Amino acid sequence: MLPGGQKLEAAKLRGEVSEGMILSERELELGQDHSGILVLDDGPEPGTPLADVLPLADDVLDLEITPNRPDLLSVYGIAREVAVIYDADLAPPDVSGGQSPGPGRNGQVDVQVEDLEGCPRYIGRLFENVAIGPSPAWLKARLVAAGMRPISNIVDVTNYVMLGLGNPLHAFDTTKLDESRIVVRRARKGETIRTLDGETRKLEPTDLVIADASKPVALAGIMGSEDSEVDESTTTVLLEAANFEPLTILRSSERLGLRTEGSGRWEKGVDPYLAETAADLATRLILELTGASFAGETEVAAELPERPVVSFRPERANALIGLELADKEQRRILTGLGFDVTKDWNVIVPTWRARDVTREADVVEEVARFHLNEVPFTLPLRRTGARLTREQRLRRLVEEALVGAGCSEIYTTTLLPDDADPNALRLPTPLTSDQAVLRTTLLEGLVTTARSNLDVGNEHIRLFELARVFLPPADPRPEEHWRAGGIVQGGFGPAKGVVETLHEALKIEPSFERTQLPFLHPGKGAAFEAGWVGELHPERLEGEWGVFEVDLPALFARVPERLVYQDVITFPALRQDLAFSVPEGVSAAELVTAAREAAGPELHEMRPFDVYRGDQVGEGRKSIAFAVSFQSPERTLTDEDAARLREQIVSALAERFGAELRA
Amino acid sequence: MDPNALETEAQSAIAAASSPDELEQERVRYLGRKSELKQALREVRDRESGMTLNALRERLETAFAGREEALRGAELEQLLGEESFDVTLPGAEPPRGHYHLITQIRREVEDIFVGLGYEVVDGDEVEDTYHLFDALNMAPGHVTRSPLHTLYLNGDTVLRTETSASQIRVMESREPPVYMVSLGRVYRRDTIEAKNFPIFHQVEGLAVAEGITLGDLKGTLLHLCRAFFGEDQQVRFSTDFFPFTEPSVQLAVSCFLCNGAGCRTCKYTGWIELGGSGLVDPNVLRNVGYDPEQVSGFAFGIGLERIAMLRHGVPDIRLFWENDLRFLAQF
Repeated sequence: MLPGGQKLEAAKLRGEVSEGMILSERELELGQDHSGILVLDDGPEPGTPLADVLPLADDVLDLEITPNRPDLLSVYGIAREVAVIYDADLAPPDVSGGQSPGPGRNGQVDVQVEDLEGCPRYIGRLFENVAIGPSPAWLKARLVAAGMRPISNIVDVTNYVMLGLGNPLHAFDTTKLDESRIVVRRARKGETIRTLDGETRKLEPTDLVIADASKPVALAGIMGSEDSEVDESTTTVLLEAANFEPLTILRSSERLGLRTEGSGRWEKGVDPYLAETAADLATRLILELTGASFAGETEVAAELPERPVVSFRPERANALIGLELADKEQRRILTGLGFDVTKDWNVIVPTWRARDVTREADVVEEVARFHLNEVPFTLPLRRTGARLTREQRLRRLVEEALVGAGCSEIYTTTLLPDDADPNALRLPTPLTSDQAVLRTTLLEGLVTTARSNLDVGNEHIRLFELARVFLPPADPRPEEHWRAGGIVQGGFGPAKGVVETLHEALKIEPSFERTQLPFLHPGKGAAFEAGWVGELHPERLEGEWGVFEVDLPALFARVPERLVYQDVITFPALRQDLAFSVPEGVSAAELVTAAREAAGPELHEMRPFDVYRGDQVGEGRKSIAFAVSFQSPERTLTDEDAARLREQIVSALAERFGAELRA
Repeated sequence: MDPNALETEAQSAIAAASSPDELEQERVRYLGRKSELKQALREVRDRESGMTLNALRERLETAFAGREEALRGAELEQLLGEESFDVTLPGAEPPRGHYHLITQIRREVEDIFVGLGYEVVDGDEVEDTYHLFDALNMAPGHVTRSPLHTLYLNGDTVLRTETSASQIRVMESREPPVYMVSLGRVYRRDTIEAKNFPIFHQVEGLAVAEGITLGDLKGTLLHLCRAFFGEDQQVRFSTDFFPFTEPSVQLAVSCFLCNGAGCRTCKYTGWIELGGSGLVDPNVLRNVGYDPEQVSGFAFGIGLERIAMLRHGVPDIRLFWENDLRFLAQF
């Protein structure tokens, strides 16, 4: 099987059966060379597995590195961690023969850094007599294993050092630099650069660039230009081992939408002390692999930051971790990670951790993370009593009442394309235009969801949502109110039944009066203390739908704190039905209110159960029948009591509404 | 009249009666006004034979009553037996409602933590950048603060990206100890796809008191994970990084689908990452006026949708927002 997934099988080629295939580098994904087949050095026996000849079969570890640890974006950084885990010694990087020959050679490359904040360190090394060519197999294989494409010995060395040590490098063809100069500066307005990926990019004065005497030749830390690229004919190379300020790189990389292996490291903060080691390792490899000679060096640097010193208490670490780690072990971990620890526990942070470790808590983490698995499972000792708040308990009760009434709970989005309230809060830059406004009502979500359920053929649709609405003005923040809203197939009656059930569950008596809202059927809308219920305007959704919305703070304000026993058992109620003929405009609720005023507390219940219109009551009138019960908590009411109470009701209703008692 | 013969005859007649009607005829014959026994009772003259005859009458009356009850019972049983029908037919169906799965998860989380002595805090969904970012130790350049990640209402008012702003508000308002979980909607500038929705729900917990340790965090999250995924589950912690905790650790629970054998859900690792946690960063404590030398704390955050999707195998986060009754009714 080839790396791309293609299977090699016996096949007929020009009439001959071919049992195999001779492959190029590119087909093996070892390189880009497709000019001919890959010829192996030293002539191994045919049939030897390729992995025994080329270093191909190494296991590859896929690691997730947190953004605070750019030092771990390198094989050497990982090795340092592994050395601490296994209590092993860590050898320094082998840079023998790559070190700078000393100050005598300094200044032989023309490097000028105009912006030492954006570029606190720049080492330029010049190589002559470079023979550009392919890298040896071991180098190619390591790059491929790390997910990079081998290109040429010089470029591969820069990438290899980046992967090995974590310091991105860059190489210029010196002959392509105007006046062979390097100037590190901010871009000038109107400047452009054609980067290695072939894109021409417009630069802003916030972008840091590497320029020659006349023009930018690289987007600092992100990508070089096509013009200054090292190619097959290159013989003199300027190696850049620099340090760039993270935020500058992040801003440019985000603005240009250009993320590279280099920018991903710079934006997290690379150790400025690392530049020299990286230059040395690269130098060693360039000399070894390209036959070049080291022609000179220039270093420009700001004052590099001091190593932070943290006062640390090993017993404090133990108290926070919940373990008893010996001082010796804590010292071993820190030392292994490159910290210097004085006798009285002043911890001197290594340069590659100077951004991340500045306080005692940071050092505690360094110790803790090597013993996480040993930390015992405990619960806090000092705990307090707790329970849900009244509002939280009542919200659960609302959910229970609505589910009990047969409604299913839905979750709909807070952000909508628009809202009926023109002052509703608007996001200045929403993700999409249909997620632009913070809703002031749950209605839209209910209607939308009812419609989508209807569209897929669902039946018996009864839905509710409990969520917040956001009421303007934002001063500075909007008022957030919990609301309960519902939509019920079947029109006004079923919805009002749900609303009444909800009130009953909370032991609140609602009073309803007719209201008109733009989204409701003009004749079928009712307002009550904490909200509204009505029949959805038929233009909004096909069929008959009842909808309601209840403001929970308003509802909960009316919930009694304590329910008090009432004796409704010892003395039985007297029940009778009363029907009144009244003018069409009189509501049942008005009659009940007036009857209660007239009869007092002994009118226990008066519930409308039938409405009749027709010849017997006459034009413009209707008859409402009530089931009435009279009851007293103190004595059994007599027939005379009932007659008296009934008379009080009849005369009050006659006087107020022209009501006539029927039969 | 021979009382013994009469009793024998009557008792066998009672036993022989096969319906309440037949029994009634026999009762008239033996105990009716014109019956031999009643006539004999009217004609009795001496006390002794009177007692004998009355005792006989009582015995017969008891026998008739007993037989009648038996016959009526049998008759009812037969009638009911004829009414038997197909009991596998469905019952009368009251309207059935369902709690949204996220509500069910939310309630479970609330109950678990109320049981541990935590208060539940709702917190506002619209927050200011001080409480959401600055107080939580997120520097002005922090990537989460970018308008590419966060929905801004204006320069310093945002839709909360996590519920932890309410932790700051609670700590600002009172002295430690604080044990709280905050649950609710959070907002991210994410495009809608199978695993992403710009609105989702989070639980974030905070405990601040004297002597809180990393072990307390581990024990608390073990309790939570076992409550959700089963008493046999293990938890594992690995190093992570968040601005508001130091040390920071990532919580993973042993894969309850494959029990460690390796499956797609756990990416063949045997562990499922659930969320971030750690000891509260001393800067956060200082920002609310607490002394990090006096108190320490832990904090954690987990997505409710993530719990629901993992535990119930829900493949697509959009299902929670589409609210198709066929989906809702499953839970």
